[in-house]
Amino acid sequence: MSFLSISGVTKRFGGVVANRDVSFEVAPGELVGVIGPNGAGKSTLFEIITGFYRPDEGEVRLEGTRLTGLSPDRVCRLGVARTFQKLRPFPAMTVLENVMVGALTRTRDVRHAREHAREILERVGLGDKAHAHGRTLSTGQRKRLELARALATRPRLLLLDEVTGGVDQGSIPGLVRLVRELHRDGLTVLVIEHNMRVITAVAQRIVALYLGEVIADGPPDVVARERRVVEAYLGQAYAQ
Amino acid sequence: MARGVPAAVFFGLAALGPLVVRDAFLLDGLILILLWGATASAWNVAGGYAGQVSLGHAAFFGLGAYSAALLGTRWSLSPWIGLLVGVLLSTVAGLIIGYLSNRLRGPYFVLATIAFSQVLLIVASRWRGFTAGSEGIPVPFRPGFWTLGIADKRGWVYLVLALGVLLYLVQQYLERSRRGYQLAAVREDEDAALSLGVAARRLKVVAIAASAALTAVCGALWAQYVGFVDPFYVFSVDLSVRFALAAIIGGLGTALGPFLGSVLITTLETYLRAQFGGVGAGLIGIYLIIYGCALVLVVRFVPQGLVGWLGDRLRRHGLAGTAP
Amino acid sequence: MSAIPQLVVSTILLGGIYALIAVGLTLIFGVMRVVNFAHGEFVMLGMYLAFWAFALLALDPYLVLVVSLPVFFLAGFASYGLVMRPVIRESHNVQIFTTVGLSIALQNVALVLWTGDFRFVRPAYYSVVVRLGTTAFNVSQIVAFAVAVLFTAALFAFMRWSYAGKVMRATAQDRQAAALMGIDTDRVYGLTWAIGIVCVGAAGVLLAPLYPVYPTAGLQFVLIAYVVVVLGGLGDMAGALLGSLIVAAVEVIGSYVIGTAWKEVLYFLLFIAVLLVRPAGFFGQRGAEQLGA
Repeated sequence: MSFLSISGVTKRFGGVVANRDVSFEVAPGELVGVIGPNGAGKSTLFEIITGFYRPDEGEVRLEGTRLTGLSPDRVCRLGVARTFQKLRPFPAMTVLENVMVGALTRTRDVRHAREHAREILERVGLGDKAHAHGRTLSTGQRKRLELARALATRPRLLLLDEVTGGVDQGSIPGLVRLVRELHRDGLTVLVIEHNMRVITAVAQRIVALYLGEVIADGPPDVVARERRVVEAYLGQAYAQ
Repeated sequence: MARGVPAAVFFGLAALGPLVVRDAFLLDGLILILLWGATASAWNVAGGYAGQVSLGHAAFFGLGAYSAALLGTRWSLSPWIGLLVGVLLSTVAGLIIGYLSNRLRGPYFVLATIAFSQVLLIVASRWRGFTAGSEGIPVPFRPGFWTLGIADKRGWVYLVLALGVLLYLVQQYLERSRRGYQLAAVREDEDAALSLGVAARRLKVVAIAASAALTAVCGALWAQYVGFVDPFYVFSVDLSVRFALAAIIGGLGTALGPFLGSVLITTLETYLRAQFGGVGAGLIGIYLIIYGCALVLVVRFVPQGLVGWLGDRLRRHGLAGTAP
Repeated sequence: MSAIPQLVVSTILLGGIYALIAVGLTLIFGVMRVVNFAHGEFVMLGMYLAFWAFALLALDPYLVLVVSLPVFFLAGFASYGLVMRPVIRESHNVQIFTTVGLSIALQNVALVLWTGDFRFVRPAYYSVVVRLGTTAFNVSQIVAFAVAVLFTAALFAFMRWSYAGKVMRATAQDRQAAALMGIDTDRVYGLTWAIGIVCVGAAGVLLAPLYPVYPTAGLQFVLIAYVVVVLGGLGDMAGALLGSLIVAAVEVIGSYVIGTAWKEVLYFLLFIAVLLVRPAGFFGQRGAEQLGA
């Protein structure tokens, strides 16, 4: 049985089809990249998996359990954590408290949550920022905070929306290394990424979306050479 | 400075009050400060901690006041039973408003809460057969604790002090507990909170219902203390604004803030009433002009309220440690 | 059912006046995304302006109406600059409390200056009743309705065809894009606020011969205006017109069927029902979602 299975997912907004009959599976421990030009439906797909949107057709299952129809908090408690493309730390909270909110989903004890949050902050390299406020962090550090918060919910599946988007070149290798480590430690990861160089280096498999449909699914080097993928990207480049 | 110290000083001083002061006017002021502080704290649970700003909380206050008064006058029941009934009714109403809060945000939610309290105002002032209509209800004085007929103002000080401490502890719980952190997350960013497994919707409903129930407790005690329930007062938008104002001036989402805010506005009101009470009823409006201006100025210049402002000051002078 | 023509006429007359209050509110909301909780106080000020001009200078309310336009425009600009501009980029809650504070302050300024007594504006033609077939109505009602319709039409034309109106609509659609296009959003907001205040102040002047004047007189009208505006969709001007007629119909028919004492319960229940079923109003789609942010 596959770990995550997405079958026949279709989502329309008025007349616009954001996802059309999207189906693919993710095996346990896999690191899968989702690529596609702007408007391809990547983020919509993430919102559907995490329960923020309800698909018009199709369903999502995690180890056989149906996620579709559950509220986002239930999906999280079943082991799916996510980051947001637009970073949203809780502004009035310290970095540590931000991560504690995630940790408190798995424990009722505030002290345990605090300890767990500290460990995770060390792990993502924000140990010295525990008492800083979210808004004082750099973009790269905020990405780490988002990641830490998500990890604190002890996910089995992690969805990352644009890990390196908006981050300065210098911070990218560190973030990529972090994602690799998490994957190596057994986490199944689904990652949306714009940066083709990053995604082909990190992902074991790539799913390419274009205009809401899956147009390619396979190993990175194969997908990157796929004619429709190249066209989708170049076509968009010309259009702009 | 340890967290509980300012609160211990505040409530300690209040407890000492009746031992030092015998003057009925001053004791009355103290009782009202504590009572309005407690009510503002009850509002703060929804408006401050959960971030669900209501301008219809007078509805819950009025439900408490009316339940205690009506059950007493119509069926001679103890105001404590009336209080319980008021709490039950308010909890149900709070659940409904809480449900609304999941469908309506920002100004829409505020409008819905105002409409809700207006409906109760109309019912209370027009349903003559049951509520005595717009004339209001005098609450009979029946001596004894069970009937809440306490002639000695010092007794009232300790009763509302207990209420104040209870409300303070409730808010403390919301600052340090698991639910408190989760509620703060919902207030700051509901979607992010959801994505971290926080059952945001349920939490908001529970917070609003709890806030409503606590407000009803305050309303029931207030009715017994003042001895008269006027529908146009207890269900008014002005009263709802007053709860919010005390919490905002003191510091939204802080446990001691509503009490500090209440010290300021209740003192001002009592003082001006005493000054102008005899001169002309119109002049009483002066304190409301000051309230209005204070509200505009505080949200603009000191949005963190007195507690936040004092905290910043102390921290800057190294008198307070950083938060744990 | 001989009452029907009268009910219809009453509904239309009342709806016209509600519309004038509501378009100001919905204009301010549509462009600025601010619910003006002090809206009713400007109705009250308009009523007092008419009252004092009548009592002291024996000026007819409809003459005062002309004078009131520049007065309220200036008052609008002043209140925008002093109170609203500093918080225009703040959160909803800050804006809500700011306009609530303004409302309390204005109400009580009126109370302190002019006491809480009910006052009446009774021009010579006050009791003149016009009969048409089986219907009867007051002259003041007809004038108020006519002016309200004229005013609302002028506002529609202004929004549709004038440059300033187009700029305001552009800002309403996307304030960031408008700013990028070189629109001075600050001035747009000031103008919007001032026009909204002119509408509602003029409505106050028109209402003075019809209703008692007192410091909290605005409350009843503004509560109705909220209902109207939510019915029509916050920010939707055409919706506000239809909403006005619906609320007026509920009020008129409600008064007729169950008595005046309970009619308000009807439209508050209608209000809550609409909020629940269609928070964006009957025709609106934009607004509710954006507000959630």
